[in-house]
Amino acid sequence: MSKTLQQSQGYKIIEDWMASKGNVPFKFQEQTWAKYHNGYSGMVVAPTGFGKTFSVFLAVVIDYLNYPEKYKKGLKLLWVSPLRSLAKDLAKAMTIAVEEIGLDWEVAVRNGDTPANVRRKQERLMPDVLIVTPETIHLLFSQKKNSRWFKNVNCVAVDEWHELLGNKRGILVELAIARLLKLSAGTKIWGITATIGNLEEAGKVLIPYPELKTVMITAKEKKKIKVVTVLPDEVEVLPWAGHLGKSMAFKIIPIIHENNTTLIFTNTRGQSELWYQILLEADPDLAGLLAIHHGSIDKKLRNWIEDNISEGNLKAVVCTSSLDLGVDFKPVDCVIQIGSAKGIARFMQRAGRSGHSPYEVSKIYIIPTHSLEIIEAAALREAVAERRVEAREPMVLTYDVMVQFMVTLAVGEGFKAHEVYALLLSTHAFSMLTEDEFAWAIQFITQGGNTLKFYEEFHKVAKDEDEIYRAKSRRISMLHRMNMGAIVSEAMLRVKFLSGGYVGMIEEYFITKLKPNDSFVLAGRVLELTHIKDMTAYVRISKAKKAITPSWLGGRLPLTSYMSHFLRKKLSDSLNPGIRERELKFLHPLIARQSECSHIPKEDEFLVEKIHTKDGFHVFMYPFEGRLVHEVISALIAYRISRITPLTFTIAMNDYGFELLSDLEIPIHEDNICKILSSENLMDDVIASINAAEMASRKFRDIAVISGLVVQSMPGRNQNNKSLQSSSGLIFRVLEDNEPHNLLLRQAYTEVFDQQLEEVRLKAAFKRITNSKLIIKESNTFTPLSFPIKVDSLRQSISSEKLDKRIERIQKEVFKKNKK
Amino acid sequence: MIYAEKQITIRGEHLILNNLRALFWQCERALIASDLHVGKSAHFRKHGIPISVNVQHNDLDRLSFLVSHYQAKKLIVVGDLFHAEVNTDMNLFKTWRAEHPDLEIILIKGNHDRLKHVVYDSFDINCCQQELNLQPFKFIHEPELVDNEFTISGHIHPGVLIKTKGKQRIKLPCFQVSDSNLILPAFSEFTGLATSNNQKFNTYHAFTETAFFEF
Repeated sequence: MSKTLQQSQGYKIIEDWMASKGNVPFKFQEQTWAKYHNGYSGMVVAPTGFGKTFSVFLAVVIDYLNYPEKYKKGLKLLWVSPLRSLAKDLAKAMTIAVEEIGLDWEVAVRNGDTPANVRRKQERLMPDVLIVTPETIHLLFSQKKNSRWFKNVNCVAVDEWHELLGNKRGILVELAIARLLKLSAGTKIWGITATIGNLEEAGKVLIPYPELKTVMITAKEKKKIKVVTVLPDEVEVLPWAGHLGKSMAFKIIPIIHENNTTLIFTNTRGQSELWYQILLEADPDLAGLLAIHHGSIDKKLRNWIEDNISEGNLKAVVCTSSLDLGVDFKPVDCVIQIGSAKGIARFMQRAGRSGHSPYEVSKIYIIPTHSLEIIEAAALREAVAERRVEAREPMVLTYDVMVQFMVTLAVGEGFKAHEVYALLLSTHAFSMLTEDEFAWAIQFITQGGNTLKFYEEFHKVAKDEDEIYRAKSRRISMLHRMNMGAIVSEAMLRVKFLSGGYVGMIEEYFITKLKPNDSFVLAGRVLELTHIKDMTAYVRISKAKKAITPSWLGGRLPLTSYMSHFLRKKLSDSLNPGIRERELKFLHPLIARQSECSHIPKEDEFLVEKIHTKDGFHVFMYPFEGRLVHEVISALIAYRISRITPLTFTIAMNDYGFELLSDLEIPIHEDNICKILSSENLMDDVIASINAAEMASRKFRDIAVISGLVVQSMPGRNQNNKSLQSSSGLIFRVLEDNEPHNLLLRQAYTEVFDQQLEEVRLKAAFKRITNSKLIIKESNTFTPLSFPIKVDSLRQSISSEKLDKRIERIQKEVFKKNKK
Repeated sequence: MIYAEKQITIRGEHLILNNLRALFWQCERALIASDLHVGKSAHFRKHGIPISVNVQHNDLDRLSFLVSHYQAKKLIVVGDLFHAEVNTDMNLFKTWRAEHPDLEIILIKGNHDRLKHVVYDSFDINCCQQELNLQPFKFIHEPELVDNEFTISGHIHPGVLIKTKGKQRIKLPCFQVSDSNLILPAFSEFTGLATSNNQKFNTYHAFTETAFFEF
């Protein structure tokens, strides 16, 4: 390494090549090249659209041009990308670059979509650059004699690392890197990520190896984002979710026409179906120019839509997070966010989908679906200005993934126990793994459990005389390969026309509630169910005007803690908004009313409202911590109150607060409120107030699938393993009865605490609440803050048509009382 | 063993539903059960999914208890006695059979019962391929409507789903009864539940470990 980068021949070739296309490298690209040249691993932090792919890719190319003797035949660069849809375009861009530069490299993609003959060809001779998903690498690990493919890998690049960190796919990446480093000493590891709140940690999780020199390179370039809140014509003083829909449609139509191509983001698949209908009704001319895109729509149709966005044939696409990431669509010059994005990172990601080339401005409109969301819009605007992006917490000690990995190795080349233990310890996720826990895992995959005689005939992995653990049965190997990965989908059925042709996927849970001849909406079409057979729902086009919109499970996005911070701040400011706070000024009538009949909580205050109506006695509390956390807090408060007086409650909640409703007076007053909201005995009371076993049993679903306890039924190839079907709930029960010390059970409870109860956030919230000034207000009518929660609870009990009437009635009553 | 019972009368016959997942027909002194799935846990183990043999032990213990509790003369299994291939769980069944030599076992073959004749013969089981008529009932595996007949069957593993406050859901196994048929719960505890209910035509006798509930 005597020469500096700039003097090297490789650098000159690349510089010339870029100049020939009229490009100059960004500074962070050059920095990456230089560090790579000097043997570093590291992480590149850059916004999309600034050529972050080429920062790492060209670094490897330059190094190859300078030192071709260091590179051997076969795989040189392994490129890990979380998205399949990205791979094709990435390969195209890299191939073009390689050809223009004049290298004889082959760039290839390998993932679930790759045809078998291409895979076989790759296995005979690996391409120079291979673009894969985390799952694909592990599938490669499960092949016989796989290590030969990785012997000469010079660099492993992990694209969109922020998308993988924080979930179990990230753990797959951590494990893959650990093994690749073992197979090919001197491999460099490079991560590419967007800005997140814990970059330092993200780097350490990806590259926890002290023997590697590491560096973090942050691009100075920033994407300019223009945020516009679209305000309704007038303020609804008593807001309720979803109500603004139709009237806002007429504000969206002109925006669509002003721009070339607009992406319209909704938060759930159900919402996207609804808005697709609303927009078509508002402007029938959009028929054929408006498309709908979400995860449950058939892949072919989605690909068709994506192609047509790229070619500029569509005016607008209603979509969900299905288009958060992925291929960059050049024609998209405008993004509309319907409702709140609930998180800053997600919002910025979505904004960045428009105005994609460097220095172009990303334009995003927020369409509030009820008045309070206007405050959220204001909060989002401030958060974007400050670039305060959420952290992604890495997961640790996920025994399910560990067990899967060990079986993968056993199916592949076999493993020696002490080597795998060392490998696990070298990763971030398993650095705290104890010898006992590892011994348990070995026992689990070799004899099933800790009492051998309970598990006669158990066949999975066995230790051979040469001390190597291997999977013996071909059928078990096949089963394992079919079930690998860390994405567990809900039990889904395919939806197919009687006349042939797939429409998409729908959750089993939803479709089994329908009877034949019932109508529902999918992919923007009204469909009539005829019958269900072999995991497929057969449908025909329905003539019905009204149909049910499916509610997909897990659809609601929780409010992130950063967002809730900004939200409290904005609400606190709202009585005296700054000059530029267009949203808050607009909301003044609502704010004034809240302030008049109750109170606007300041940042250091916590508001409790007691409202007595003819429904009964309501208590509303507003922690602004998001629905999931409120679910826990409300159960806890109900539990603590019922210790004072035994009462039965109906509980309702939204992202801002929650309601406890009882037919008897709820004993909350100034004297005991501190105790009820105390952070003492917090977790003990939480555990007493929830059904932890049931929550854990639900969490166990993913764990059971990932660890191979439940064989996933795949639509299309459902016939295969019928005799092995079982539910995770059943396995959970059997394990609790027979193997209470199983670590996978423990993991289910840990996940409940970390993800469902969000223990850390919960504790922080209570610390904040106990340090706040507690304010109790009494009222005889619903307040602007309480009303949306009330509506949400009504929604659960009655059908939607009656709902409209009932809400109108409540609204009238409130105003009547007010006039008196 | 803790149990709960419920008497019902169908076409003049007294039937005792037991929450240990079987019913007793007094006049015939017959214990009737469905979907025993003997060998399921071993089948899973063979395929690399560790399910304890205790699951099989518990099922057979329950069966023994019921046979002696009612002093049953015969056991009618309306299908799916064996889950899959001959495996180690079957040895337990062999031992169990030896302990009940005088019990007549009649099996109406279900979709899982695909073993060779010699296997059933070795356990001294009388097999019916399709159905068994014992007036006033017709026993079949998969429920179907037959004119003017009352069928007793299994196969679907009926259950009820009870939604309670706070989004909690409870699933319970049940006996499903209509004008023309009765569907037994799966006898094996290592089975799932089908909970798509139609309350108009059916009565659901759901049960917990200690009691019966009617829906």
